[in-house]
Amino acid sequence: MGRMSDAPKPDGRTLERFRATVLPHLDSAYGFARWLTRDPVVAQDLAQESLLRALRYFHAFRGEEARPWLLRIVRNTWADLRVRQGAEPLPLEAAENRAAGGPDPEQTALASDRRRHVAAALAALPVEVREVLVLRELEDLSYKQIAAVLDLPIGTVMSRLARAREKLAAELQGRLGRRDHGLSDL
Amino acid sequence: MDCRTCEAMVDAYVDGELSARDSAAFEAALATCPDCRRRLEAARDLSSLLRGLPIDPAPDLLRARIERDLRAIAGRPRERLRWAAIAAGLILALGLGWLGGALTGQGGRHTDEVIAGYLRVAMAETPVDVASSDRHTVKPWFAGRVDYAPPVHDLTAEGFPLLGGRLDFVDGRKVAVLVYRRNQHRLALTLWPAEAGGNTSPDIVERDGFALARWRHGGFEMRAVSDLAPGEMGAFAKALDKALDAGG
Repeated sequence: MGRMSDAPKPDGRTLERFRATVLPHLDSAYGFARWLTRDPVVAQDLAQESLLRALRYFHAFRGEEARPWLLRIVRNTWADLRVRQGAEPLPLEAAENRAAGGPDPEQTALASDRRRHVAAALAALPVEVREVLVLRELEDLSYKQIAAVLDLPIGTVMSRLARAREKLAAELQGRLGRRDHGLSDL
Repeated sequence: MDCRTCEAMVDAYVDGELSARDSAAFEAALATCPDCRRRLEAARDLSSLLRGLPIDPAPDLLRARIERDLRAIAGRPRERLRWAAIAAGLILALGLGWLGGALTGQGGRHTDEVIAGYLRVAMAETPVDVASSDRHTVKPWFAGRVDYAPPVHDLTAEGFPLLGGRLDFVDGRKVAVLVYRRNQHRLALTLWPAEAGGNTSPDIVERDGFALARWRHGGFEMRAVSDLAPGEMGAFAKALDKALDAGG
């Protein structure tokens, strides 16, 4: 990605191309931002900032797949925002512990409660495993695409994904108090 | 294939990342390995739980913000417009006539209050104070909260389900706001008793992706704001007028 100052001001045709290529993936950008930030308001700011940044970088877009390209920008924008806001690893851990509070495990009977548990369990995961699960299961990206979004080797994507699933299963079992093999009767 | 190999392949198999040949080998190995079958089942269950999570589409107002930004960039490269600027732009545009005194006998400064009210409706996680599509719930809720009885109609049959109601202030007076939905869009209708005059047909303008309508019907001043197309706003006004004429 080029520096901002390298970017020429987008002309009308570039904007049209941007609208046709990148803007259709706004839902994905917002969804990923929701899971990164775990806050619908901050997620809107992040998605907006990311789309603007994507437009600035659009001159460097070479016709690769637009959705992973945009999600990578969301990811990098988020990292930059956190640095700018002086976010440290520790407060994040604290936030994750808070998120882990979750709803009352007694109320697991209903499907909506189950979804709430799953969402809370996912939100409680540390970000480096959370993001890989979101990209795989909610965005349905391939290993190769995830590797591009997160700028990681495919082997690392696979090992993180395995770790993420283990942690999520453990988190869910912790919440639901189920026996330790299988989740089929959730 | 031994069980360890088989175990290591479960994730890649569920993720559709194995080659056809590896998939076939994995499936053959599964037949003789109950542990790996259980692992596969658990992996599939976990995956379907995640895929069952509801997906929130990008809110309309986020779209509107980005749209506004794109237009600003096309015209003026360094300008960063935020919500306040959007509202200010709308108010400026509307100050030129929408809600003007000629039709209503009331000052144009209501405009910013109505727009600000819409932005609150559009941006809020909970856009309404009383959430119900039942007029018999919403209408009584206003009793004692505003000094008139606003007509409340659910327009679901016409494609505008009622989401509920809330209070707002126009010109220092408490007014009723009804919030409707059209697909993923929200529409805020602010209404108060008209001082004089008969029905007028809706005056609809489009500004920066927002449709604004003002009209008078059944003794009420109507102000509607939404990020709908003007034609849809017209359909809303028509449906509302018809409901009012049909009674109360």
